[in-house]
Amino acid sequence: MPEQDSPRLAALRAYVREAAVGLRAVGMELDRDPSAMRRWLHLPAVRIMCGCSIPPEYLAEPLRVDGFTYDMSSCLEHTVTIEELSYGDASVMLACPGPIMSGVAVAALGDDKQRDAYYRRVAGPRPVWTFFALTEPGKGSAATELETRLEPDGDGFRLTGAKRYVGNAALAEFGVVFCRRAPGPLGIEAVLVDASARGFHAEFLPTIGMRGLRISAITLDNVRVERSQVLGFDTLKPSRRGLVGAIQTLQRFRPVLTGTAVGLCRALLDHVQTRRPGLSGVDARRLAEAADRLEAVRQNNYAVARAVDAGKIRTDRIAGAKTRAAELAEHCTLLAAELLGPASLLEDPLLDKLYRDARAFEFMEGTGHIQRLAVFQGVLKGTFLEPVA
Amino acid sequence: MTAVVESVDTAAFAADLDACHDKAAPGAVVVSARGWVIASASRVDGAPAPGGWAELSFARRENPSPAAVRLAFATELVLLQRRTLAELLELAVTRLEQRTSEGANLLNRQLVRGSVADVALRLSEADDLRRLDPRARRAWLIHRDLVACGRTMVKLFGASGFVDDRPGRLVHLMELVGNTYLHPGEADA
Repeated sequence: MPEQDSPRLAALRAYVREAAVGLRAVGMELDRDPSAMRRWLHLPAVRIMCGCSIPPEYLAEPLRVDGFTYDMSSCLEHTVTIEELSYGDASVMLACPGPIMSGVAVAALGDDKQRDAYYRRVAGPRPVWTFFALTEPGKGSAATELETRLEPDGDGFRLTGAKRYVGNAALAEFGVVFCRRAPGPLGIEAVLVDASARGFHAEFLPTIGMRGLRISAITLDNVRVERSQVLGFDTLKPSRRGLVGAIQTLQRFRPVLTGTAVGLCRALLDHVQTRRPGLSGVDARRLAEAADRLEAVRQNNYAVARAVDAGKIRTDRIAGAKTRAAELAEHCTLLAAELLGPASLLEDPLLDKLYRDARAFEFMEGTGHIQRLAVFQGVLKGTFLEPVA
Repeated sequence: MTAVVESVDTAAFAADLDACHDKAAPGAVVVSARGWVIASASRVDGAPAPGGWAELSFARRENPSPAAVRLAFATELVLLQRRTLAELLELAVTRLEQRTSEGANLLNRQLVRGSVADVALRLSEADDLRRLDPRARRAWLIHRDLVACGRTMVKLFGASGFVDDRPGRLVHLMELVGNTYLHPGEADA
């Protein structure tokens, strides 16, 4: 039996669900004009995203519902929040200003001073977009192989290289860049970089869907980096810094991304149900089967997120949940286009948009091929599949 | 080593689509069973394809083309889809040959080789199906197989497959055209 939401989680879910109402119209607008997000910064959904993963003491109005206060330090609460917002529109959710992934990296690696400065900057009344730059043009998101260089320069460093497929980078104020200070896995660092720094250049990459995310390419040409910008430089050993931060951030964030795919699938199947209430026979059965698969993926993702909250980082299961959700999103979009009939992609603008948006999940936070390698390792270790009594 | 040019020419695809129209209905455009036409923007005065791709244009027409014309068009469409996917597969293989991970060529990875083989198997199966008597429902079957094949193949391009001017766009446009012209409707769905 699926685990019931606790009163605290149920209150959060109900609040966010209400905030997500009306996001689809905004999403359609962003699909045509991704820069339109600035017109929608007053929405409650945007306020939720702006405060995500910021400690309440930094916020003028922390998220409080029914006597509970939320800061999204819980992976499960973060996941449910993102799933419900994505049920409204995943692209709008990803278009919002706020810490998103960079905040998770700063929380994992930053020292007290760095975290304080970061939170003060993103928690102000002004909308601040941030970025998380890991993926590189030649190496994808393989953290151990990244080539962006952090080279000594007097009492600081210079940063040179290129990043690709970075959400919101071309409109962000600042963000986290992963780079290499020395050979080997211990030579990786995470640095906070201002988009206004000399030598920083970012441009949008037009995409097939999920256009609110504003995927960007970054060029770093001899960007000056002070020691104080290197996350954890004075407080953590090299073995606990950059690479660990990248991995921790990705593991902590993958259930959240999986929640994005789950939210989109829920929206899609509900849309088919609304448009075709009289489905019967084989078609009705196929829709019901997709709904069953969705509920299974969703409950699995909640279990993964609960495990993260309990300090049990299960890389193989996190990867499995993400892979299944991405595949399900693809399956649901193809099924919906089939069930809604000939020319449905021309006649149904919401279907067309979700159909294109869903393609993003395969590529976000590690491709299916990369995730399968983690699942494979879990099979070897005997940790991926649960024992059946 | 010469870098692989991954950008795709949507205008050339639109011209190929026009050629399909010409073969099935010389000098005209084929109208789908639900009364839609999709062709190059120079051929059809209509709205840009959903997603904002202006090279392709779609519009409503009053009367669907005769079933025989639509069947001839369906045959041309699956051939275009098959040919386009084969060209993209070549591009994918060339690209994978030039990328390395952990010191090894990506094309030497078993998982990657398996995906390349899966695409080729689907294309081969589509060829066999195309050799059977042309039927509307058969064209839909081939199209759906090729959609699955295109989805597998675009993953070989990694995140680049989601960028707008790359192979993922052609894969999407072929799905859009197939959904419009080849979907058999409620009777056979």
